[in-house]
Amino acid sequence: MRSRCRQTELQRTIAGVVVAALAGTGCGAGAEQTALEVWAHAGQESERRVLREQVSRFDALHPRLRVRLTFLPEGSYTGQVQAAAIAGDLPDLLELDGPFVADVAWQGDLLPLDGRLDPGLLDDLLPSVVTQGTWAGHLWAVGAFDSGLAIWARRSALVEAGIRIPQGPDDAWTGDELDAALDALARTDPDGAVLDLKLNYRDEWFTYGFAPLLTSAGGGLLDPGPPPHAGGVLDAAPSVAALQRVQGWIAAGRIDPNLDDLAFVSGRVALSWVGHWEAPRYRRAWGDDLVLVPLPDLGRGSRTGEGSWVWAIAADGRQTDDVIALLQFLLSPDQVRATVAANGAVPARRSAIRPSDPWAPGGRLHLYLAQLEGGFAVPRPRTPAYAAVTGAFAEAFLAIRDGADVRRALTRAAAAIDRDVADNQGYPVTDAMRRRWEAER
Amino acid sequence: MKGAAEERAAWMLATPALLGMAVFILLPFAAAVALSLTDARLGSPLPLHLVGPVHYLRLLTDPGFLRALANTAGFAAAAVPLQTGLALALALAVNRETRASALARTLFFLPVVFPLSLVSVLWTLLYAPSGPVARVLATLTLGVWQPGDVLHDPWLALPAVLVTSVWQGAGFQMVILLAGLQSIPDDLYEAAALDGAGAWRRFRSITLPMLRGRLVVVAIVTSILSFRLFDQVRIMTRGGPDGATATVVWEAVRAAFDQAQLARGSAMSILLVVAVLAITLAVGRLRGEEA
Amino acid sequence: MSRRTRRALGAVAVLAAAALWAAPAGLMVLGSLTPNDAVLARLGGDLANGGVTFANYADVARRTDLAANLLTSLVVNGLIVALGLAVNSAAGYALARLEWRGRRVVLVMVTAIMVVPFEAIAVPLFAGASALGWRDGWLVQALPFVAQPLAVVLFWAYFRTLPREIEEAAWVEGAGIVRTFVSVVAPASRPAFAAVGTVTLLLQWGMYLWPLLMTVHEDVRPLPLGIATLYGLPPLAWGDVLAYGVVMVVPVLVLFVIFQGAFLRGVASTGLGR
Repeated sequence: MRSRCRQTELQRTIAGVVVAALAGTGCGAGAEQTALEVWAHAGQESERRVLREQVSRFDALHPRLRVRLTFLPEGSYTGQVQAAAIAGDLPDLLELDGPFVADVAWQGDLLPLDGRLDPGLLDDLLPSVVTQGTWAGHLWAVGAFDSGLAIWARRSALVEAGIRIPQGPDDAWTGDELDAALDALARTDPDGAVLDLKLNYRDEWFTYGFAPLLTSAGGGLLDPGPPPHAGGVLDAAPSVAALQRVQGWIAAGRIDPNLDDLAFVSGRVALSWVGHWEAPRYRRAWGDDLVLVPLPDLGRGSRTGEGSWVWAIAADGRQTDDVIALLQFLLSPDQVRATVAANGAVPARRSAIRPSDPWAPGGRLHLYLAQLEGGFAVPRPRTPAYAAVTGAFAEAFLAIRDGADVRRALTRAAAAIDRDVADNQGYPVTDAMRRRWEAER
Repeated sequence: MKGAAEERAAWMLATPALLGMAVFILLPFAAAVALSLTDARLGSPLPLHLVGPVHYLRLLTDPGFLRALANTAGFAAAAVPLQTGLALALALAVNRETRASALARTLFFLPVVFPLSLVSVLWTLLYAPSGPVARVLATLTLGVWQPGDVLHDPWLALPAVLVTSVWQGAGFQMVILLAGLQSIPDDLYEAAALDGAGAWRRFRSITLPMLRGRLVVVAIVTSILSFRLFDQVRIMTRGGPDGATATVVWEAVRAAFDQAQLARGSAMSILLVVAVLAITLAVGRLRGEEA
Repeated sequence: MSRRTRRALGAVAVLAAAALWAAPAGLMVLGSLTPNDAVLARLGGDLANGGVTFANYADVARRTDLAANLLTSLVVNGLIVALGLAVNSAAGYALARLEWRGRRVVLVMVTAIMVVPFEAIAVPLFAGASALGWRDGWLVQALPFVAQPLAVVLFWAYFRTLPREIEEAAWVEGAGIVRTFVSVVAPASRPAFAAVGTVTLLLQWGMYLWPLLMTVHEDVRPLPLGIATLYGLPPLAWGDVLAYGVVMVVPVLVLFVIFQGAFLRGVASTGLGR
């Protein structure tokens, strides 16, 4: 049972019978229109506005179709998708946070996209975007952008404190350099807190924002196997060392709790460790005094995150061709440019990048592109176990944030992950699954 | 009356409620028991297996879950006397016919209309490091105590959540006790006063015994509600810091809804019911012994 | 010190305590009238900061589906209270006044079920309802809470204290048991209905967990979920959040003020305790 369209509950209650009788398909959209249900995460205001505009534009181009767009809060997004999946209630097109794609695909809820998209589109995509959406040999999801993760800084503050400004991802500060920089900045800061780690954010941020640090130190979240296992990786010495360093910053009072999410914007801190989505707001606050600095190199080179929200198509949909049309529209170069203009992310399509763009060499956001193309970005593990991975890591990070013993927290997290994998028999990809996916391509 | 007709009528009257309870309480409960003995995962393409009491054994040896259990029990143990005692004090304080008392009554009752999710959001702001609570505490202790980030302090976080629960709930219990107070005949007090009994004596020998039934009801309702602590944890603290505010319901929802671990979440729910039943029976026994 | 002075001081003290108790609500209103970036500072003591603005309320209207959330809360809770009163009072009456086989067992079971926290069955109920495709609507948020052991027990306690003459008069005239209950006993028990209805409303109005699990679209999400959603919607605007909070409590407050008398009388008469 799929809800092909949604009326407001009130309409349905009051006029349900009448509308159904008159409109045939029972959709308030009108008898000749087909409704497409789309879910997206409730991100920054500008992102939401642009997506709404894109949907209107698509509606205007396709009078036969009507798109119903729903924004879901990020905090319960995975749970909602999961619940909708078992209810058979998934929308036609849905956004997924990159690393969760494997789980939804494993459960059989997604349509494989290989062979259904224009070859021109696929060739034009950044390799990292294709990587993110590929699992078990099929392409399941494609995004209009990839993410950028780095440290925003106020150039004037760095210069004043005598701190070197890295020129690129291979020029990043070492761990000790960053420690020294924090101390230098703290000397002239009234409350001593000089770095914003977005501690006010919720769960998934911690995995995205800080797992790269583990990789940079020689550790990581997970060994893909198969079967995937975290023991020996997540709780290994390099991973522990990386998070001990972060704990040190917090214990020394260098980190602003950021309860009002205004630490960097108001000037309370000189550094903000966050992704591309803050680009518009930070630019409005600090203009040209902004500079992007890569994450620190803890031994194996600076590492950063990649992957972001991607679009996937539900497997049991009925108007697949229309949904593909919508997806291709959202991925067209013009729409990609509109999206990234709103959220500061890196366009997923090379053809969408012009020399004057901020991501182009010399541009103020070029670091993001350089990181993605230069192999500095580490994807979060693509595995159906990801929900357990990120849940365990977030819990460990929050405990570490509040002073828990780092090794113990990470060991516990690794054990929880490995237990979940074992409970699900290693999340096997069976032959039956493979056969079905081949048939659906 | 007529036996068969009475039977029929009784069943007609009682069935809707009984049916509702059977479908929406007993059935899910039975399902929870069944699921907790399997390896159920929400939305798994794998076949379901019976695994026996594996989840229970894991939970009872999992420091994280035991901590949540301890937090839940400790929270209830603190909430019951605190909220009941406070409600009684408030009821006594506003038990007058004056306008001032009526106003006070309304003010004390005000938080009861606040949904806990609103309470959570509001108090997150109030507990901010430089927010009103921190300021008031610093002022009251003349600067000696600077709480800092209360919700991230391993010792203060759960008490801070307790304060929000008591703040929201005490007014309701107050009204119940107030109704009880007002049903105590005045001449009992007058007679006792004539006999020379002081205020405290009157309270102990008249008020308390006459309120006994209601106090027990208030205590039981408070304890049942305390075991359900979830909203504040989900919104204010996410179980932190380091599990200091984790409760059984929070862990169960996290397991089942956020991580699709249906069997594990069900096992946690069953353990919660067992804990609540055990404690209620124990309290009931105590009450029975007194009576 | 004279008795009158002591009393007056006592009253002042109580009022002061009450004012302090209600202060968070006052701060909520104050914050809702403050520009977003000044809220934290203002509540932290800088009371003059920011002036007064109604922009947050406008923002709330724009950024949220407040009207839909309010409607959902009213409808869902209305259903729970109305259907609940009908269904639970009937059961309570049957248990209190009629002789039938199984009565004792049912009473014991209902009292036992009363201690089962909803959260304990939320998870399997969520899985089951989702698997049946029953999600994202008003009914799924209302029906599970209609039959309430607590309400049944409250009605049972109340009906036990009713004088027998009430029904007997009607039975003597040949009226059926059910009809008597509906047209004679129930109307005579208004205070109990008011009390149980109010208690039910107060307990259910803030329901957060169940809609969190079961609803997706804003037009079927109730107020408690609406504020959590707004709180998690970037950018975090404290003024907006507090404005939403103010709008959230006003309807219940109004309802309570209107029905306060009946509620208090009902609480007294159901004895809410033996």
